[in-house]
Amino acid sequence: MDPSEVEFLAEKELVKIIPNFSLDKIFLIGGDLGPFNPGLSVDVPLWLALNLKQRQKCRILPPDWMDVEKLEEMRALERKEDAFTPVPSLYYMEITKLLLNHASDNIPKADEIRTLVKDIWDTRIAKLRLSADSFINQQEAHAQLDNLTLMEINTTREFLLDSLNFMFKLRSNLQPGSSKGQLTDY
Amino acid sequence: MPCERKPMRYGHSEGHTEVCFDDTGKYIVTCGNDGDVRIWEGLDDDDPRFITVGEKAYSLALKNGKLVTASSNNTVQIHTFPDGDPDGILTRFTTHATHVTFNSNGSKVAAGSSDFMVKVVEVLDSSQQKTLRGHEAPVLSVSFDPKDEFLASSSCDGSVVVWNIKEQTQVVSWPLLQKTNDVSNAKSLCRLAFQPAVGKVLAVPVETKVHLYGRGSWDHVGTLSDDLLAQPVNVLSWSPCGRLLAAGSVGGLLTVWDVSTKLCLERQKHEKGFTICSLAWNPSGSQIAYTDTEGCLGLLDGISSSSTGKAPVSKPATDYDALFDDDDDRLMDEGLSDTSSPGKKPVVARDDGDDDDDFLVPSTGRVRKRGAFLDDENSLDTGSLKLGQDRFGDDDGAGSTMAPEAAPSVPLRPVYEGPMPTPPQKAFQPGSTPAHLTHRFMMWNSVGIVRGYNDEQDNAIDVEFHDTAVHHAMHLTNSLGHTMADLSQEAVLLACPGTEELASKLQCLHFSSWDTNKEWLVDLPNGEDVKALCLGQGWAAVATSALTLRLFSIGGLQRELFSLPGPVVCMSGHGEQLLIVYHRATGFDGEQALGVQLLQLSHKKRQLISGEPLPLSRRSYLSWLGFTAEGTPCYVDSDGVVRMLNRSLGNTWTPVCNTRETCKSKSDHYWVVGVHENPQQLRCIPCKGSRYPPTLPRPAVAILPFKLPLCQTTTEKGQMEEQFWRSILFHNHHSFLSSSGYEVDEESRSQSQKEQQELLMKMFALSCKLDREFRCVELADLMTQNAVTLAIRYASRSRRLALAQRLSQIALEKSNQVQEDEAEEQEEEQDYSSVRQTSGFGQTGPTAARFRQTEAEEELGEDEEEEGGETEEATEPRKRSNPFAKEPGSPVRPSPTPVSKAGRANPFKVAGSGKTTSSSGQPRVTNILDNMTSSRKSATLSGPAGRQNKPPVLKPLAPRAKSKNQSTLFQMTGTKTTHQKTQENPEPAADQQKQADVPPPTSPAENAENKRPKTGFQLWLEENRKSILADNPDLDESDVIKEAMGQFRTLTADERLSWTERAKGQTGEVAEMKKRKRTEGGVENEGTEDDENNAKKKNLDAASKLSAFAFSKD
Repeated sequence: MDPSEVEFLAEKELVKIIPNFSLDKIFLIGGDLGPFNPGLSVDVPLWLALNLKQRQKCRILPPDWMDVEKLEEMRALERKEDAFTPVPSLYYMEITKLLLNHASDNIPKADEIRTLVKDIWDTRIAKLRLSADSFINQQEAHAQLDNLTLMEINTTREFLLDSLNFMFKLRSNLQPGSSKGQLTDY
Repeated sequence: MPCERKPMRYGHSEGHTEVCFDDTGKYIVTCGNDGDVRIWEGLDDDDPRFITVGEKAYSLALKNGKLVTASSNNTVQIHTFPDGDPDGILTRFTTHATHVTFNSNGSKVAAGSSDFMVKVVEVLDSSQQKTLRGHEAPVLSVSFDPKDEFLASSSCDGSVVVWNIKEQTQVVSWPLLQKTNDVSNAKSLCRLAFQPAVGKVLAVPVETKVHLYGRGSWDHVGTLSDDLLAQPVNVLSWSPCGRLLAAGSVGGLLTVWDVSTKLCLERQKHEKGFTICSLAWNPSGSQIAYTDTEGCLGLLDGISSSSTGKAPVSKPATDYDALFDDDDDRLMDEGLSDTSSPGKKPVVARDDGDDDDDFLVPSTGRVRKRGAFLDDENSLDTGSLKLGQDRFGDDDGAGSTMAPEAAPSVPLRPVYEGPMPTPPQKAFQPGSTPAHLTHRFMMWNSVGIVRGYNDEQDNAIDVEFHDTAVHHAMHLTNSLGHTMADLSQEAVLLACPGTEELASKLQCLHFSSWDTNKEWLVDLPNGEDVKALCLGQGWAAVATSALTLRLFSIGGLQRELFSLPGPVVCMSGHGEQLLIVYHRATGFDGEQALGVQLLQLSHKKRQLISGEPLPLSRRSYLSWLGFTAEGTPCYVDSDGVVRMLNRSLGNTWTPVCNTRETCKSKSDHYWVVGVHENPQQLRCIPCKGSRYPPTLPRPAVAILPFKLPLCQTTTEKGQMEEQFWRSILFHNHHSFLSSSGYEVDEESRSQSQKEQQELLMKMFALSCKLDREFRCVELADLMTQNAVTLAIRYASRSRRLALAQRLSQIALEKSNQVQEDEAEEQEEEQDYSSVRQTSGFGQTGPTAARFRQTEAEEELGEDEEEEGGETEEATEPRKRSNPFAKEPGSPVRPSPTPVSKAGRANPFKVAGSGKTTSSSGQPRVTNILDNMTSSRKSATLSGPAGRQNKPPVLKPLAPRAKSKNQSTLFQMTGTKTTHQKTQENPEPAADQQKQADVPPPTSPAENAENKRPKTGFQLWLEENRKSILADNPDLDESDVIKEAMGQFRTLTADERLSWTERAKGQTGEVAEMKKRKRTEGGVENEGTEDDENNAKKKNLDAASKLSAFAFSKD
């Protein structure tokens, strides 16, 4: 899966915007949107919000969790806990990136938020690497990781699967006769 | 003793924290390790104001609007309270001060410092200093003797010293404490305290006990202790009355003793057991605020209510405190009032009032007198407190603080005890934030936002439109210093108050102008200031300080001007309406006396509301005024209650929402920016911990629903009632708009009518279920005739015959009323109508007129009905072999009356569109024929007659009645034609018929069959026809029946029996229906023979038909 595909999925998430035009309900395959009243917030999918924003037709309201204090708390918790902590949104990274790239003027303290989300992301990815490492080291057959987001899984999937395959190949070459028994141990 | 310990809340970062109350007891003031002084408006205040005094604040004291703090830069500073402006440095030490305190009248400040010194400084003249040297270690605390003679201090060297201030000498010194080298190492802060007011004793915390020393003699007169006190007492604080002593210990225990009895009255444990490092009594004596070393703030509430007899004693003490600071109070409150808090003022104002009178008595005299009152006749000093208690403690029980206050004070001094006038609320622009803010909203309304910036770099105004299609955003430099603004789709209106040199100016940016001059400026006459302004459609209004209202056209022409009955509070404009709220009179006891004027500035200028009082919640003030988007006046008071004008109830004001109900915290508010009636939306900005929003971060608009404060809205009945009346109220604007000549959204109007009738039916059904038949009748009174017929049906279905009978009476009355209305209309109509028209035709007049009024959608329905009527007529004459059969069928039949009438309405319409001719012409034609002919009446007339019954907007009753007639007639003539007929009928008519006759939806074909008594088989067939058809799609009707019969026979005997029984049940009903129809038919047949039969008669028939229906039940 390509990161851009994950991003595409994330664009379905709803965000609040304040339009500066008025328009009746619009009927789309994905559901009805609107009505749009100037000055009144309305929920739209991220793709539409960004499109409207680029055309200067709306102001985007950042999601609740996109707040320096909340993110700081989250970062602290993420650093404290060994396991993955629940994330504010399943697409937190994608939403942050999209919003900050396209609508940073509507988000207070955009730079701090960028740093914080990046910190959380780094912490989580480090944990992920660590767990992948111990998974391989201990030659476990399965492992459970909660609260991972699609993007995070996506970053490690290819590498992890490839390396596991490769290691499997190496191991089976080492003990050519007992590859089947090895598998069950694995 | 019941006393409530409120949960602790975060106050400052951890470290030593101090707390005190302001003189009124309204604010809690804290300082802490973060160097901030925070001013809390009660414990729930989520957004306290703060004053930064230094890097760290060690101690604070507050009196007379002066805030004295000891901060880390080794100074003792003064700030004004509550503004927080620095007011100079009182004194300096070589290291930081540890404790500061005021004397009883606030003229002196004592400060103890870590450099072993104690200084006593005059507040007004900081050069008047007295230094008390003698401690050999950092000073822990200081306390003034209430008579200003002595000063007590404790120090880390273990000594507690009493000083003579004037002579700067030690009077007495006790080695009571453990020696340490620094305050931070001391076991206890040893906050000693002189008893306030009487000043008999000095309390000193010593280890786990509190020693009491007699003033003057300096003998140890007593010890207060408590078994639970295991750790050293840290701080002490006397109640304002001087009778109770509170202590906070290192272990977090709060203890309150009654000093006279030495009994422990109250024990509270700190919720986490942290060290309590400061205590303060509320001046009212009912609360104790405390802080701990973790920076948290807590509150004990309800202390006075539990200690008998304390109230009367403590109350004078409060007065006594207030005596010295009333001027400051007033000043302080003036400052606050900018932030629009007149609602709070009255409380203070009342104190002020009391004290103004007190000023006749010199302050010292006052104290003495108070002593006298306490001492009673002959009691000794020591017994004074006790006697005071005894005297008042017995007769007034716990809790009543006000009553006893009045009792003793009346004989003592001449005091005006009546209600006190409320300071009138200042003029404001609805939708603006206070003018003293540097960044503020000058206007936020449904069109856009006007923001004002007034800081060092910039003095500017930003105008932004919600809908960028109106105009692009504007940035103006505010060189004139505008403070007021309004914004509409056409213009921005700005105004500034006058200065000494410059007159007050009004500036208008008329951006929608089509010429190149888009701006105009007007100077007001000298000495006249703009107080409020608003924009309407094509006009601007300005209310001035000269109580004048000036109207301008939007292009800058001066228009009418008139005088206002009182100083304006605010104004609002919408379309051609102008709403003005002004001060009608002086309010008392916190109430505002406001009046309201509503003017219509259209061509027919008139005053709709002329200076009636504006109802507000108790002790509140106006906080928003405006119109709904649909043009109904609306306002919000400071209690968050939204009221809307109810034009249908004699211009009364109905509360439609209480925004405070949705607030989470006491200090949260909703700042209203707009009201919409359709959809019902209250647009407002949630403000956490304040009354109005900051400009940054940009606030988001939230939507609140409306809710009428009806009783028992948790019950189903209450909910429906609320919905019904809300719907009525929120659709009032339709009638207003149409009466003032605007186009009305007919769709939403009929929608709302439908919704209301539905709600009524639901309520009707509910009341039926609850056996509330009387209530049912009351509900039916509210229904339209159409709904009443449904109600009758419901009632007879549920076997409530008495009810059905009454309802049929109501239906009769309603139909009569409709006729009367029509008659009235007809009279009016006749004034205009041609001479040729005879009264006999009157009935059609209003009907036709109404047809012309109805909107497109309605007409569409009519047309369809009309088509139905036509087909009906096409078949009808054939059957009845009427000699005049041809004539009604031809819509262009030349008849004098229709031509004259149609000519009145629109001379071209008759010739022009066939549709309108048929719809408006046909009823007339038949009516003429009614008068001329005798035989062919019933069926053809039924259309127009029914239509006359029709209520103005709802779908007419007519088609239903008509189709019933039809079917009756057809049943008599033969079912074959019926089949044909009903299928011919266009769908809507058929639908209605179905609805009327057979509630479960069936196809038109089945519909006809329903008329006949049914056999069990037929019932079964109805149910199973579909499946049979589905199985054998190619069968024709007769084959289906054959097939069905075969299937029915295969059923078990029991099943067949049950079907037959069901059929019997229905047959009864159907038979009744038939019976009713027969009577109807009979009446109609009579009607045909009757020459003078006209629509009026017909209406009565309809009613009797209904009653017949009701009776036939049994």
